[in-house]
Amino acid sequence: LGSGLQSPCSMHRAELSVKVPPSRSCPSGLCALLQPGSSPFPAAHCKTSWECVSRSARCCSSLPARLTVSYCRSSGPGGQHVNKVNTKAEVRFHLASADWIPEAVRQKMASMHRNKINRDGELIVNSEESRYQMRNLAICLEKIRTMVTEATETPKVVSKETTQKLIERVENMNRERLRQKKIHSNIKQSRKADFD
Amino acid sequence: MSGNGGNKALELLRSLPRVSLANLRPSPGSKKRERRRGRGRYGGRKCGRGHKGERQRGNRPRLGFEGGQTPFYLVIPKYGFNDGHSRRRQYQPLSLQRLQYLIDLGRVDPTQPIDLTQLTNARGVTVQPLKRDYGVQLVEEGADIFSAKVNIEVQRASELAIAAIEKNGGVVTTSFYDPRSLEILCKPVVFFLRGQPIPKRMLPPEDLVRYYTDARNRGYLADPSKVAEARLELAKKYGYVLPDITKDELFKMLSTRKDPRQIFFGLAPGWIVNMVDKKVLKPTDERLLKYYSS
Repeated sequence: LGSGLQSPCSMHRAELSVKVPPSRSCPSGLCALLQPGSSPFPAAHCKTSWECVSRSARCCSSLPARLTVSYCRSSGPGGQHVNKVNTKAEVRFHLASADWIPEAVRQKMASMHRNKINRDGELIVNSEESRYQMRNLAICLEKIRTMVTEATETPKVVSKETTQKLIERVENMNRERLRQKKIHSNIKQSRKADFD
Repeated sequence: MSGNGGNKALELLRSLPRVSLANLRPSPGSKKRERRRGRGRYGGRKCGRGHKGERQRGNRPRLGFEGGQTPFYLVIPKYGFNDGHSRRRQYQPLSLQRLQYLIDLGRVDPTQPIDLTQLTNARGVTVQPLKRDYGVQLVEEGADIFSAKVNIEVQRASELAIAAIEKNGGVVTTSFYDPRSLEILCKPVVFFLRGQPIPKRMLPPEDLVRYYTDARNRGYLADPSKVAEARLELAKKYGYVLPDITKDELFKMLSTRKDPRQIFFGLAPGWIVNMVDKKVLKPTDERLLKYYSS
């Protein structure tokens, strides 16, 4: 426990001695403030760190195009809040025409979750677990992600050698058990006194 | 129809006598007579005290007494749930609903970076540094109705609150203020009147360093590129499109952040603010400059 405690302390002390994370190489905007003129946080540096965000954001937005989201009132207890506020989030998408899922996975999903697919072929996922719409939406998306991952995973193929090994293992165990049993039986018999 | 009703009402106002205490009466059924003890057939006789014994004589034992059986509150053994409760760090909650309320009423200006000083001046939150308060935490209440683009700096923020603010194109930062800096931040004028130079803000203690260097909490000591990644991740998780702040006209304001050693925007440690002469005094000695810029 003592050794475990020491290492994080030293790590933190090392961090503190650096004081400022490596990206902000200029020794703080304080120097800039102490001299007249320049702004504390160089704007150019800012822009680059925010810009890389926008480029990658465009490629992975699944929400607006492919999924239909609707909100309605949740069920259950909760008084005025549950009666008035639209907190239940429902996400639906047409499974057969979802080209962002591979064909085989689509088939698997259709068979695994056939109870969640309606007559028009739309897979419906809803969530009313949380008080907040945003969180319910996040839960729906998470459910969809798990569905797709489950459908993608291939069943484990057990090789012939492994099955043979397993059978051999069981046979060996049984053989050993019977041998021990016979030895024990002999010991017990040798203790018997036969009245002849 | 509404025109006729309005005319009738005006006619009534002209013809009826003036409203005074003599003309007013509560609506029937709104005021119920109170039950007075010791009066009449039902309130009197035993006066609601029961028949003889400790109940009638007013000598019942203390709360929690179970007639001699070891009471519940003594049967349960003590456990260290409350150990050191008075030394724990506390953070005053600020809901997004309250923040939206303050912005809508014009008490807090969303076109400037929002700081604890702004919130205290607007009397939006009350922070007591002497009661182990270490600042303000953002709470999710009102996340669904929040619709303001702000650059806000708090001491703790939950994930959903961060997501709600970034969804509307805002910026959240979590930063640490030690108790002395917190008091100065909350009551700047009182501090300036003391005539002391603005101190450096201290770095967080060991158990909080991890929190403030984590990009997921938008810590002020975290790597900005990691913060950008974390913004993307959150957008993917909560299913909204992350608005591009660089294209925003308020980008400069949204990207202003304080230096880790700075307490106020625009004022550096070591400066003295003279409220009387309305002047700011800056140190010129080399050693002082070296100390305050370290």
